[in-house]
Amino acid sequence: MDGPDLDSLVQRAQAHDAGALGDIYRLYVRRVFGLCRYMLESREGAEDVTSEVFLKLQRSIESYDGSIPFPKWLLRVAANQCIDGLRRRKRASQVIVEAEEGIAVVETASPEPSPLGAILSTEERAQVRDAIARLPENYRVPLVLRYYGELSYDEIAQQMGLKKNYVAALIFRAKQDLRRKLSHRSQ
Amino acid sequence: MECYSEQKVSMFVDGELEVEESQHLRDHLAACSHCRRLLDALRAENRVLSESLQELPEHEFSLVGPFRSPWSIGWADVAVMALVLTIGSIVAPWIDHLSIPEALQWLNPMSLSGRTNLFFNLSYYFAHGGAAMLSDYAAFVGGLLLFLLLGGGVLLLGRRWRLQQPGLRMLTVLLVFSLPGFALERRHSEIVTVAARETIDDTLLATGNIVRVEGVVNGDLLAFGGTVEVRGTVKGDLVSFAKRTVVSGTVEGNIYDFSNSLDLDGQLGHSLYGLMQSLDVNDRGRVGEGVVVAAGDISLEGEVVRSATFYAGNTDVSGTVGRELTMAGDNLILTNTARVGGNLSARVRQLKNVHIADGATITGSRDIQLRVKENHFTRPKFYFYQAVWLAAAMLVGWLGLILFPGFFQASAHAVGSGWRSFGFGLGVLAGVPVAAFLIAITLVGFPVSLMLFAFYLTAIYLAKIWVGAFLGQKLLKPTEANKSDWLLGLLVGLLILTVIGFIPYLGGLVGFVVVCVGLGAFSWQLYRVSRRVITT
Repeated sequence: MDGPDLDSLVQRAQAHDAGALGDIYRLYVRRVFGLCRYMLESREGAEDVTSEVFLKLQRSIESYDGSIPFPKWLLRVAANQCIDGLRRRKRASQVIVEAEEGIAVVETASPEPSPLGAILSTEERAQVRDAIARLPENYRVPLVLRYYGELSYDEIAQQMGLKKNYVAALIFRAKQDLRRKLSHRSQ
Repeated sequence: MECYSEQKVSMFVDGELEVEESQHLRDHLAACSHCRRLLDALRAENRVLSESLQELPEHEFSLVGPFRSPWSIGWADVAVMALVLTIGSIVAPWIDHLSIPEALQWLNPMSLSGRTNLFFNLSYYFAHGGAAMLSDYAAFVGGLLLFLLLGGGVLLLGRRWRLQQPGLRMLTVLLVFSLPGFALERRHSEIVTVAARETIDDTLLATGNIVRVEGVVNGDLLAFGGTVEVRGTVKGDLVSFAKRTVVSGTVEGNIYDFSNSLDLDGQLGHSLYGLMQSLDVNDRGRVGEGVVVAAGDISLEGEVVRSATFYAGNTDVSGTVGRELTMAGDNLILTNTARVGGNLSARVRQLKNVHIADGATITGSRDIQLRVKENHFTRPKFYFYQAVWLAAAMLVGWLGLILFPGFFQASAHAVGSGWRSFGFGLGVLAGVPVAAFLIAITLVGFPVSLMLFAFYLTAIYLAKIWVGAFLGQKLLKPTEANKSDWLLGLLVGLLILTVIGFIPYLGGLVGFVVVCVGLGAFSWQLYRVSRRVITT
């Protein structure tokens, strides 16, 4: 669903129409759950955050102003919730600590073609997901936000409380780490 | 010309370079085949990442699928309700036929004393005979239990079930705990009789309109029925839920009695604890230790070797109490033949309701006081208790929020559905005692029923917390709901509920509605979670 249909659905939801909220839930629960599942370590945690996002939606949807597409806004809310969860659990370890050190953007020139470049079978895609799941949290979170949540570097930086350059470095390192993991596997 | 770093190209692919820098890179690409290859590889890599991530495997979604929209009731729910109502209407006449509801009046959760006494009795039961009895059962079925645990564990691992879900964990715990229940010898029929020459070596769980023991039960006797008669011997404890319980034989352990009436004509080895309409210890009756009973009418003609504590409307003593006699209630009569080996203390409303015959023997002191119903608002202690209660509730709320954040908040949120929660809560409030009773006599066993009860009482307690939290959130409307806002809301909500609770009549009504709504929200939430668990 998109365009005027989605707009009117969101408007009805903003007017506390329970049916509209239910429809939004059905439409986007998988997408939101997916994001939470990638960002958090346990399925249980992902379920909890997903429920929380939709339960709070009843009120939080009032603050949606239409300046960005609704699905993107919803994913941002979910990402926010996940990062809150991670912070609470980690007591501001990895993700936040490194940020304050202001590490310079890593500049490496590696002309090697990416080992991820080929077209992948279902099984190989599962291997990619598996490798992503095994990434350290500070790599995994920005990577997932970028390539699943389709958030921009700026948006990720804002969510995670980091500088944009640092987000770029994290995503870059995440990819490198991923390549290493996958090339080990294929050997 | 120097090539761009891989990270810069990567940012370019992601559309994250500044306009000017992008333009420079584009110019460079036109001239550099090496960088173009890198660009293509990075684009392909991004596509692989996106595609792989978008394709979340189905087994992950199997959990999300049955997630129910929190805002609508589906046909399945209606079907479940209908099924429950149907089963209920089939079962209800049968229970009615057993005439047990009257005997279980004390279970009425609307009555505070019923609740607290039940709690007291259950804890005592577990602290003394109960726990020991349960461990005996556990030992007895140890082999079976181990086998089931190992087998079940292998099965679960094999099917890649994860015991992460709280509901599944709870089910497992319940199942494991309930296994000892199978070790009971159980008999169920219209009339259950242990004949005069018969000996039962085990604990006997008997249910029937009439349960009659003329022989010997070497273990405990757990009896549910219209009439429970012990004419023979029970070597363990007697736990009776009946309309009428008559003990004319011997019970060597304790009696825990929750009957409409208990007549004790025979010998009791240890103590008697109970909650009943009337207690009659007649002149042949003897209690080897003490008595703690709350009842409408108590008549003691026989002997209590140690002390007796009565909470009763009317207490008539013409027999013997070896040590202290403590009484609280309306009327106390000690006849000429009454003997009290220790002190007599009584709390009554009016002194003219105490009659102590001249011939009555009281070895210790007499302490008879009026129970004046004073205004509790003038007592500092009252405020202290209220503060303690509030602090305890806040602590529970905080713990719940730490341990089960999603569940706790969702339960508080579910309060908002108003009528649905109220209706659901009313059903649960009335239905759980009946269900616990049915489980105790027919399905999985006594321990499960006790645990269900404990759970039920906990939920009734928590009801106020959820409603309080919901109320507080409605009033404060925090913009960003974090933990401290939630707790502040809870405090405000609980304060309001507590103050309303002091208003005569209205307070009681509000209290009832709060319990129903909170319990309903909790049950609803539990139902949603369990559905998710069951479908995995």
